[in-house]
Amino acid sequence: MVSGIGAFTISCLKETAQVLKLLREILYWIFIAPFKGKPLKIKLIFDQMIFSGWHSTLIVFFVTMFTGIVLAMQAAYQLEKMGALMYVASLVAVSLCRELSPVLTALVVGGRVGSAIAAELGTMKVSEQIEALETMAINPVKFLAVPRFIALFFMLPVLTIFGDAAGIFGGYLMGVHSLKINPALYTQITFKFLLLKDIYTGLAKSFVFAMIIALIGCRQGLNTRGGAEGVGKATTNSVVLSFIFIILADCIITGIFYFSNM
Amino acid sequence: MEKDIIISLNGINKTFGNRHILKNISLDIYKGETFVIMGCSGSGKSTLLRTITGAIKPDTGKLHIKNKNILELNNHEFDKIRRDFGMLFQYSALLDSLTIEENVALPIREHTKLADEIIKIIVKLKLSLTGLKNFEHHHPSEISGGMRKRVGLARAIALDPDIVFYDEPTSGLDPIVAAVIDKLIKDLSKKLLITSVVVTHDMQSVFKIADRIAMIHQGEVIAIGTPSEIQKSNNALVQQFINGQVQGPIDFFKNTELFKI
Repeated sequence: MVSGIGAFTISCLKETAQVLKLLREILYWIFIAPFKGKPLKIKLIFDQMIFSGWHSTLIVFFVTMFTGIVLAMQAAYQLEKMGALMYVASLVAVSLCRELSPVLTALVVGGRVGSAIAAELGTMKVSEQIEALETMAINPVKFLAVPRFIALFFMLPVLTIFGDAAGIFGGYLMGVHSLKINPALYTQITFKFLLLKDIYTGLAKSFVFAMIIALIGCRQGLNTRGGAEGVGKATTNSVVLSFIFIILADCIITGIFYFSNM
Repeated sequence: MEKDIIISLNGINKTFGNRHILKNISLDIYKGETFVIMGCSGSGKSTLLRTITGAIKPDTGKLHIKNKNILELNNHEFDKIRRDFGMLFQYSALLDSLTIEENVALPIREHTKLADEIIKIIVKLKLSLTGLKNFEHHHPSEISGGMRKRVGLARAIALDPDIVFYDEPTSGLDPIVAAVIDKLIKDLSKKLLITSVVVTHDMQSVFKIADRIAMIHQGEVIAIGTPSEIQKSNNALVQQFINGQVQGPIDFFKNTELFKI
């Protein structure tokens, strides 16, 4: 039992070291290599931005909008008793921007894009495509991981803002049409209590979540072994680990913001 | 006349766990020749090829390519040597997400600053050398296995390499396409003065293309020479292998090593 826990801890530490090594390599290719005559390929980054950002908009819209609707109903259930129904607007907006939209968007993108990264890179690994790149003196981290990392780093915050808007819109629909709150009052209360720092804190989280999704997806994919079964494992692991680390990072970052009064 | 050595292996050893895959391998490959490494499945020939291409690091030994000990080079220096390599993989290893044209153009785009129009002309030229026309905009999944091999070959020679490695170039192909691939290997070696290192166990192919042959058995080089020397070899293992006999010193049913990769 004790030796089992020890072995698990060691394997976790080793995996963390490998993920950090991958991060170091990615940062080298982004910040140092371009000054040594090895520029980034904009087209590869743009293609990944389309895939991870644009193609995720619909699912992010639906998930956050329905969360806004649900949040409005649940808030109304309590606030109605205190005669403070109109504050549904501020509760929906603040909780979405600070917490729900960044986390839900990250989970949706982690499930959709993180798994796709692990599956694609994993298939490339087991079908010798990664080895082929290396034989052609093309660095797989530069060619495959860096565009995905940069694309997610910029697109996840954009999707989060889009999710904020979609969620607030969902809350508005519920508040105005079902809870019969005056539309002008709903809008006024939303923007009275929603501060810019609420959006900033949510965005700060989404940058961290983007790095988690990209690093875990790329690491799992590039480390795939054992054919189709290995690709399946890598894909599952990437989703499970991304979800765990997103929630863990959310807890830590929220704690930092809370105790520093942000 | 003394021949120039382009690849030299000296005392190469490689173990995976407790399995000794390559045992003290020493051999020289000369500039411009077609050198075939043959052996049974699991004999270590693919590991040997991957060791030469740098995908696997040997435990001990020296490996010189173009007079440089590649085991002492850092990644950047080794990448410079790798630009003079081309490799045709057993399953072609074309990038699924790219078209045929983009696959062949990939090494050119990554390692040169040529304009797109020029790259397209080079790609057409390389594809026509391997007998492929009008397939540039297809994806690898849309063409046959034989065509994929030819695209892989076009990609391997895209940067006009000095050395091309072939891993089982004819496996899984029908006899006619296999003969086409053999002819291409031979023609390209002659036309482009390429040194070819071929790993195969296709005996028809071996004697058609080889200038010299090395036979690997259980991680050791047991015979090396010209095709006629190999055919006349007194070594029972070699004779059993080239004649494809069930009876002989290689006992397929007893030797479980043969089932391992």
